[in-house]
Amino acid sequence: MVTGLGVISPIGVGLAAFAAGLRTGRSGAAPVRGFDTTGFEHDIACEVPDFDAADWLQELDPADLGRASRFAVAAARLAVADASGDPAAAEHTVARLRSRHGLIAIGTTMGESRDIDALVAQELAHGPAGMSPALARRINAGRLSVSIAHELGLTDVEPVTVPTACAAGNYAIGHGYDAVRAGDVDFALCGGADALCRKTFAGFYRLGAMAPDRCRPFDLDRRGMLTGEGAGVLLLEDLESARARGARIHAEVLGYGLNCDAAHPVAPDSDSVARCMRLALDDANVEPEEVDLISAHGTATKANDIAEARAIRGVFGDASPPRTVSMKSMLGHTLGAASALAAIGCVVAIGEGFIPPTINHEETDPECGLDCVPNEAVEADLRVVQNNALAFGGNNAVLLLGRYEEPS
Amino acid sequence: MTTTISDWSAISALGLGRPAFAAAVRARGTAAETATPPDPGRARLVPRFEIREVLGRGGTRTMDRVTALAVATAGHLVGGTDGERRADVGNEAALVLGTNISSAKSSMDFARDTLTQAKPFFVDAGRFPNAVLNCAAAQCGIRHTLRGPNATISGGRATGLLALNYARRLQRSGRAGAVLCGAVEEFSAERAWLEGAAAAPGALLGEGCAMFLLAPEKDDRPGLAEVLAVEFSVCAEPAGAGAALGTCVDRAFTASGESPADLWAIAGSGGAAEDDVLAGHPAVRLRSTDLVGDTHAASAAFALAAVLALAESERTGDARTALVTAVDRDGVVGCALLRLPSAGDTR
Amino acid sequence: MAEMRDIVCEILEIDPDEITEDSLFKEDHGADSMGTIEILGLLEKQYNIVIDEGELIRMVNLSGVFAVVSEAAGWEREADPAP
Repeated sequence: MVTGLGVISPIGVGLAAFAAGLRTGRSGAAPVRGFDTTGFEHDIACEVPDFDAADWLQELDPADLGRASRFAVAAARLAVADASGDPAAAEHTVARLRSRHGLIAIGTTMGESRDIDALVAQELAHGPAGMSPALARRINAGRLSVSIAHELGLTDVEPVTVPTACAAGNYAIGHGYDAVRAGDVDFALCGGADALCRKTFAGFYRLGAMAPDRCRPFDLDRRGMLTGEGAGVLLLEDLESARARGARIHAEVLGYGLNCDAAHPVAPDSDSVARCMRLALDDANVEPEEVDLISAHGTATKANDIAEARAIRGVFGDASPPRTVSMKSMLGHTLGAASALAAIGCVVAIGEGFIPPTINHEETDPECGLDCVPNEAVEADLRVVQNNALAFGGNNAVLLLGRYEEPS
Repeated sequence: MTTTISDWSAISALGLGRPAFAAAVRARGTAAETATPPDPGRARLVPRFEIREVLGRGGTRTMDRVTALAVATAGHLVGGTDGERRADVGNEAALVLGTNISSAKSSMDFARDTLTQAKPFFVDAGRFPNAVLNCAAAQCGIRHTLRGPNATISGGRATGLLALNYARRLQRSGRAGAVLCGAVEEFSAERAWLEGAAAAPGALLGEGCAMFLLAPEKDDRPGLAEVLAVEFSVCAEPAGAGAALGTCVDRAFTASGESPADLWAIAGSGGAAEDDVLAGHPAVRLRSTDLVGDTHAASAAFALAAVLALAESERTGDARTALVTAVDRDGVVGCALLRLPSAGDTR
Repeated sequence: MAEMRDIVCEILEIDPDEITEDSLFKEDHGADSMGTIEILGLLEKQYNIVIDEGELIRMVNLSGVFAVVSEAAGWEREADPAP
């Protein structure tokens, strides 16, 4: 059961702002401010504007954490507050979590890559001896998850970082789901985080994967992704634990699927993606016709959207596949946070009864052949939503979320 | 449901492959390695490991050392001795690989290009995947056709144990049959600089990959070891590491129903307070940092490999369990308790 | 031209004598889209030029590559290039 949601995103911080942003089709795209873009021919990305970790961290010193860890820890704090109903009751929730055995699983693509950029700049200026010890101590990817334990004072936890690139959020949520379901742990704080840096921007730019100004998934004239950053963290508990706390249940994780294309380092394989969707549906005991909405990976590159659409039509049929949206149109590609933020978007959609739109849409690519709910949110009664994530290296993870219905 | 390790391999300063590692462990000295300051020129390197010689020239133009170490080690477990793919590792097998920041050199080289080239995008497109942390696992999947779940795991010195527990959960939830599970770390000047800046000098840095084949649940042949319990804790302060590790160890024994009296070996990963666990216990003590240098993200995996290597030749009598420990400087603490087959049953 | 041939052959992992001016990178030498992008990237860096992504469709063999690079580098112009 999903009982808490924490969001640090380019379109809003906190669940309410995020949900409002999704409903209004807010775009997080803006000129980059976090690093020097001189020399690039375009400079648009989806950063989290004016983020001050001191607003969210109560125990840890932000200076001890890289930006991705700060996002992850802040999102975890927000998830716990959200899980408490009344934010003033958050300490009570934390005390309860401290007394139970838990898992912390945070996905990422690039980890503290921004600190690596800074260390390299130091090395170029002053040689290896000029590398800051404080930065060098911040860069291990494991810190994204263990820092949450330190911030919340949790010691009876298994903190694991799952750096499975752009599917990492779904992987981490799935891992939390498995651990809670098996009774290994009573709760899981799981999601994903990434922070934008110049190396990442340059890499996608070099691959020709980056759009000059707008992310336009499934559009005939789409020209690629925009890079982004942020974090999404979900609190998962089993039903008994949620009830014992009197917690509000946002939604239910129904199941998920994992597989690997084993084909190409960056380009997706339709058949393999379709197979992953089927694994997820089987795991969740959901028939294709029961899926009301698909939250696509939808990066808006020529290659991804075609391959993903083909896979969707392969599983759901050509005639009337589910409406398929890409929240990356609003958020950009937040990398390790992407599928976690999209999963939270799916939970919002289920709970508030609307479909977040695919913005920047002018003409649907007929080769994709999907209804991507262009530009404006629509009201919808959603019981089951599928969240796709297709990463570099063919690391695919598909998650199914469902409305929780209290048995009568 | 138990998790059975049916095979393993390792590439390290001790050589390439299971036989070389096992022979070196048998021949090990008894004195602990003297702590020496890390120095880019001195480290425990894998001997004669030139990527394009070991893996050939096809598809290796941009491959980095972390990736090559993992791909080569996985190759030992996927291919049999005659080069044919082994029957018990099909295309649907899963892979779980542990790392810290993958290749520090790849990430830093890429960053250096964006900062120094005539244009900030004059970076090497073919090397961008190397700067993404799942690169090695992805290449293992591509080169060895592994289409099951493919995961990368990170947790400092405890990485090998976290990867093992992730792999166990894949099997228990029915998502995977056979799983290749391991961890990898490369040596480079970049890593030496980072370690030198981050931490007080410790053991000589090492590199390599240790990987284990976890048999599918339905395979009931006795393997090399059964994983009975894997437990974790977080210590808020370094001073609390010993107590946190003690808690994990107690839980592992309780969960498995085993008694410390039957413990034959204890293998540590070179972290703080690990040497003091179960102080006074007569079990054989191993430390992966003594054997292969400090392999950080791979250190717990090498500790596990050391137990299996030693068990091949030295275990006698009734003592039948082994403990692997890890304490990471960022606060993750963990242990794994294994049961070994009876001493007469060699594989 | 020989320099460009070397760059292309390195990316495609083939020997220089396997390629001609007209043999096609994808159909004859097994290049994928990533390989073409790598070729474009190395050429931009080598000659300090910027090649528009739209030119990728012309860069299907060595002659196409030579034409695109020459234009981007302004080699074939006699007069000053237009701003």
